[in-house]
Amino acid sequence: MERREFIGIAAAGLGALSLGMRGYGSPQAIAPSDWVNLGVIGVGNRGQHMMRMMLRVPGVRIAGLCDLYEPRIGEGRKVTGEQTPSYSDYRKLLDARDIDAVLVATPLGLHAEHVIAALESGRAVYGEKSMGRTLDDCNRIRDAARRTGKMLQVGLQYTYAPWYIEAQKRIREGGIGQVTQVQSYWHRNNNWRRPLPPGAGPEIEKLLNWRLYREWSGGLLAELGSHQISFANTLFGAMPVSAIASGGIDYWKDGREIEDNVHAILRYPGGQTLQASFITTNRLDGAQERIFGTGGSIVLTHTEAIYYQEPWYPNSAVPPEMTIGHKLITGPTYSAEQPYQGKGDTPIKGEASDADLLACREFIDCIRTQRRPSADENLGWSGGVTVALCNQALKTERKIELSEFLAGTS
Amino acid sequence: MEPYNPLAEALYTHREGSLEPFLMRSRQAMGTRFTVYLYDTEAEREHEVFQAVFEEIERIEKTFSRFLASSEIVRINDEASQGPVVTDPEVFNLLVFAKELSEKTEGAFDITIGRLSRAWGFAERRPAIPSPDTLRAAEAAVGWRHLNLDVNWRTVEFLESGMELDLGAIAKGYAVDRALDLLRTLGIEAMIDAGSSSIAANGEYFSQRWPIGVADPVRVGESLGEVFLGNRALSTSGIREQSFTADGRVYSHLLNPISPLSHRSAEDSEAPQVMQTSILAPDSALADGLSTAMFILGPRRGEAVMEQFPACSVLWILSGCAGLSCSGIRWPATQQIIEER
Repeated sequence: MERREFIGIAAAGLGALSLGMRGYGSPQAIAPSDWVNLGVIGVGNRGQHMMRMMLRVPGVRIAGLCDLYEPRIGEGRKVTGEQTPSYSDYRKLLDARDIDAVLVATPLGLHAEHVIAALESGRAVYGEKSMGRTLDDCNRIRDAARRTGKMLQVGLQYTYAPWYIEAQKRIREGGIGQVTQVQSYWHRNNNWRRPLPPGAGPEIEKLLNWRLYREWSGGLLAELGSHQISFANTLFGAMPVSAIASGGIDYWKDGREIEDNVHAILRYPGGQTLQASFITTNRLDGAQERIFGTGGSIVLTHTEAIYYQEPWYPNSAVPPEMTIGHKLITGPTYSAEQPYQGKGDTPIKGEASDADLLACREFIDCIRTQRRPSADENLGWSGGVTVALCNQALKTERKIELSEFLAGTS
Repeated sequence: MEPYNPLAEALYTHREGSLEPFLMRSRQAMGTRFTVYLYDTEAEREHEVFQAVFEEIERIEKTFSRFLASSEIVRINDEASQGPVVTDPEVFNLLVFAKELSEKTEGAFDITIGRLSRAWGFAERRPAIPSPDTLRAAEAAVGWRHLNLDVNWRTVEFLESGMELDLGAIAKGYAVDRALDLLRTLGIEAMIDAGSSSIAANGEYFSQRWPIGVADPVRVGESLGEVFLGNRALSTSGIREQSFTADGRVYSHLLNPISPLSHRSAEDSEAPQVMQTSILAPDSALADGLSTAMFILGPRRGEAVMEQFPACSVLWILSGCAGLSCSGIRWPATQQIIEER
């Protein structure tokens, strides 16, 4: 396929998506019966962010806040702009009659308890990723969604990002040839800690920094990697057959229990590989997925998709300025394998939208129209279980087959 | 630790010789450099405190930038000409604040200036005089009265098509305010400097022991008196930054929504030209907005407007036939500034 064709189709695809997003409707136009009163369990940083996003969707009101840590309630009320009823026990929130749906943004180790209870209370649930901390958690959550018949959307927001959708469409249509490898990075340069208020004791420290402790956290693989692992599962149309992983607490030796760097390799049934890298000591590569096909590559970030065509590809329309680093030069350097240094193309340039907002719109739309979200319990289970598989490989320091992991024999 | 002082290089200077320890870190954000100074006795939490502060500043940028495609302001600019757009309370409340400031400043401060900003190209760092057609079209899309904010539904609507919001004049100050709020909850005294034009502090250390010098708009590196922030914010607007000269006339990034062809207001052309305006205010967003408005209005028209802001002070630096002069309202030691100059 010609480069121009790729870009043209990509732009057309996005146009349709954008059209759907525009004129989304004002709250005045929402019938009273279609308003969604949302209860929020977990009003920390992520919970507050998702509340802001939900409040940008017409016809959404936040009707209840639940958090164990009292200062969060005040922060949550700043976000809602009103004296939203508050609870320290999630069961009390679920008892409230005016709650239509529930957003769960609690520590990972508590997802199963909170999501299952919310589903069993008869509410639609938006459950933050990863679905659950363990295989058993994921199984129980998926079973609860199926048993209750209530809608569960897992917080895999890039499922709704137009540039992700378009990139996958083009890949399925052969736009970059046969995809054999994906490399994903989530590289940060910080200690992943939240600052503590004056006088905070060890209990508050663990509550605010739950990501650093095994009881509640799935570590970097879950908190960062679940998006990328779920994306690879979707791209390859399967869960991996095996995983190996390595990591350690090698820099931030501050009492944390989870690794500060993790590297995993996942093998897929079609012979594809995902290499996933998570570090906390350098942010040069940021968060990105690099998808390598025999005819080209796509680099996905949180804001765009950049397309690169292999310069030797048949019918290549790559202009000379894009092949810097590939030109023939006599000398000791094997220039044909120098890294590509051109700019690439941006298939969906300038049309990025906030993926979290799109995910919130999907959730509310699904409630109103009684349809299933794309990131449903099945997609969430697939990603959540794969994360747990990788964590098992990390913990045991050996290659784990999916079949043995699912059978509970790993 | 040797205090690095970026302020000395720009619009403010502080007194050298502070021997007390403090922590300082800078990061690029919102098209400028944010520098955060902490006076924290619990130095072991330094890393996560700075991280949280810069994350909060980044959050504000991601929300209010008109350059980031996924920001809420870009979404509103895209959709609000087609009908009411609901937004979250934080965004809505800042828009309400901005519109009220527009009303109080008779339109000298106006966040609907987006098309005009784009036409002049200052934010893109490619300033040029727009063509008359471009200018006319941009001018027609400016007007705070056409910004409809419905408090009952929390919606934003443009009553003229083609309008664009540009919160550049207050977003940095708002980010400073939110970051200082966060530091207050952590019990930390701090000072935050956003590109030298917006600066605010809380607590005793920075508020009472760090004098801030207001820069001389002509003599680079010199200051025109000092102020103590004392739990308030200081904002300065001036033509020294981001201006260009064409046909003997100075064009500033501080665009005049009332008279778009020049930064100068409808004042008599014989009146001294405003070179720089500084505002002291209870919070940084207000300081930023008023600083822009007072630059546009000048002392003659600005005096009446300032009566609505009894907790704020203003200092104008003017250039006329007799050289530089100062004019202030409630500004500390204005007379001394004039005499020293």
